[in-house]
Amino acid sequence: MSLVSGPGRGGADDDKLPEELMLSVDQHVKYIQSLDTRKDELEYWLTEHLRLNGLYWGLTALHLLGHPEALPRDDVLTFVLSCMHDNGGFGAAPGHDAHMLYTVSAVQILTTLDGFDELEQKVPGGKAKIGRYIANLQDRETGAFAGDEWGEKDTRFLYGALNALSLMHLLDAVDVDKAVHHVAACANFDGGYGAGPGAESHSGQVFTCVGALTIAGRSDLIDRDRLGAWLSERQLPNGGLNGRPEKLEDVCYSWWVASSLAMIDRLHWISADRLQAFILKCQDAELGGIADRPGDAVDVFHTVFGIAGLSLIGHPGLEEVDPAYCMPKAVTRRALGGR
Amino acid sequence: MPLYETDPAWADVTPIELDDGGPSPLVAIAYSDDYAEAMSYLRAVMAADEMSERALALTEDLIQMNPAHYTVWLYRARILTAISADLSAELTWLNSIALRHLKNYQIWHHRQTLVDRLGSADGEQAFLRSMLDQDAKNYHVWSYRQWLVRRFALWADDSGELASIEELLNEDVLNNSAWNHRWFLVFGREGQEEGYKVLDETVERELAFAKAAVRKEPQNQSPWNYIRGLLRQTKRPLAEMKDFASEFAALDRPDEVRSSHALDLLADIFADEESNAGQAKVALAMLATKFDPIRASYWQYRKSLLPSKEAPAA
Repeated sequence: MSLVSGPGRGGADDDKLPEELMLSVDQHVKYIQSLDTRKDELEYWLTEHLRLNGLYWGLTALHLLGHPEALPRDDVLTFVLSCMHDNGGFGAAPGHDAHMLYTVSAVQILTTLDGFDELEQKVPGGKAKIGRYIANLQDRETGAFAGDEWGEKDTRFLYGALNALSLMHLLDAVDVDKAVHHVAACANFDGGYGAGPGAESHSGQVFTCVGALTIAGRSDLIDRDRLGAWLSERQLPNGGLNGRPEKLEDVCYSWWVASSLAMIDRLHWISADRLQAFILKCQDAELGGIADRPGDAVDVFHTVFGIAGLSLIGHPGLEEVDPAYCMPKAVTRRALGGR
Repeated sequence: MPLYETDPAWADVTPIELDDGGPSPLVAIAYSDDYAEAMSYLRAVMAADEMSERALALTEDLIQMNPAHYTVWLYRARILTAISADLSAELTWLNSIALRHLKNYQIWHHRQTLVDRLGSADGEQAFLRSMLDQDAKNYHVWSYRQWLVRRFALWADDSGELASIEELLNEDVLNNSAWNHRWFLVFGREGQEEGYKVLDETVERELAFAKAAVRKEPQNQSPWNYIRGLLRQTKRPLAEMKDFASEFAALDRPDEVRSSHALDLLADIFADEESNAGQAKVALAMLATKFDPIRASYWQYRKSLLPSKEAPAA
């Protein structure tokens, strides 16, 4: 899925907006479908290193919008499998090195499309291979995860590992207790979590830490009231949410803050009405797509996190989203069984 | 205008065109020609695992056009090792790339690899200062800085770290990233150095610093969080801050409240005191209705935790 931005702009026709804002479902579907037809734009090629993430974002947005068939399943699976390396990892696109972030997106897409049979047909033992690739990225001393063989550690990668492994029922392949211990060490004096021990609290990293603990069944380690206070403080008077104190609001934090609050049962601590109004103001109601904030160019990244945020606060007509996985609840229920 | 095709230094290489698994080949249009051509040569040298000066130059060309292509960085790092390149020169080149691409994280991972191998932090603080001049809250820069402090044990007060943080907070007392780094410098050393314990006088110094910052800008959540963190870390009661918090909020003078964070802290202090739940309730109601109404449900929750005024009927 291409990461080309635009052509639309969030709230471009602000004057024309009706009092009661509605999500422009059909326009968003068309916008996402159009993304891979834009190969004549340089930005399409310059964002190649995000392609597999982009596909996950687009596909998830379409499922939440209630249009799961809008992308051809076979083409999507063919592309995903063409990104797989012999070592079990996935690159962002064919010819790109394998990395945790793309491997997780691949697993999420395979799960959403129920495509593991196709994986096994093309790569016998493929699922176990993916599991081994991910497990090999764990530092068995600290429990942390690297993104690739080069060793950069970040709670994003740890979360991704637990996300993908749990979807494949392969959590046993890693030391979950050590991973949990590492996440707990990333808790800060202000109640939030950062990318590693000592790193500044950041809403995106909070999501990865709370998500990891939730998937591991250890959310009992979270000081819910302190974290909830910090997270709810991220809402600004315009209804949008920011990632850190004194930073600007951005639609993507609608997901990271709200999903974290949902996982610790504190979502009602922010104003859902104001958040909904903010997200809807960031959409281009005519050309489709959602931007980071009103007036900016839309892209698929902000589109999925805006829609997922709306789903979380119960916007009518959207499929229910799983706050720990950013996937449709119906999908994670099927994959995990009984969740 | 092909650059590599006509260059004698590349005459022996057959470029590999993109195969993206789909039916539509790269649509050639003028402005992406250079990028597409350089990429086709990259595929060829990577396929041959070529470790050479010209391959290094090719990665530089591609990074200039698209610094987010992580595979190019990894390949470049391997070439540097294989041909024993001058890492100081690489670092100088990297500085200019970093200053032009503030959001890119590959640059920082690359830097970490280089500085680790060079074994010296010389010049790093000055360079970080120039990065922070452009974006004082850049997460990659601060993460790298923590790595630098750990790697070269820059904990001591005379390492320049604390002075640099003071300077940044003097310029912008709202900079939460700088506050976090300050905490890291004070408390991150425990557990890194055997036998090191934070001194009581250091905690006092930090409390005084945070209080002065609040007086400068009372509605600033960072130093209030810092103060709460210090008390929590050293297991001291919040009540120590009662007089201080009262400087910025008094329950009987709602028009003179200068900080919602002071009210918040006072509510906690009153809640801990016997028979002061009533005052805690007043503070929380002021927050819910006037000073932070967007979080009314949160303040309502805090109120629900207070002991009810009347004892339940026997």
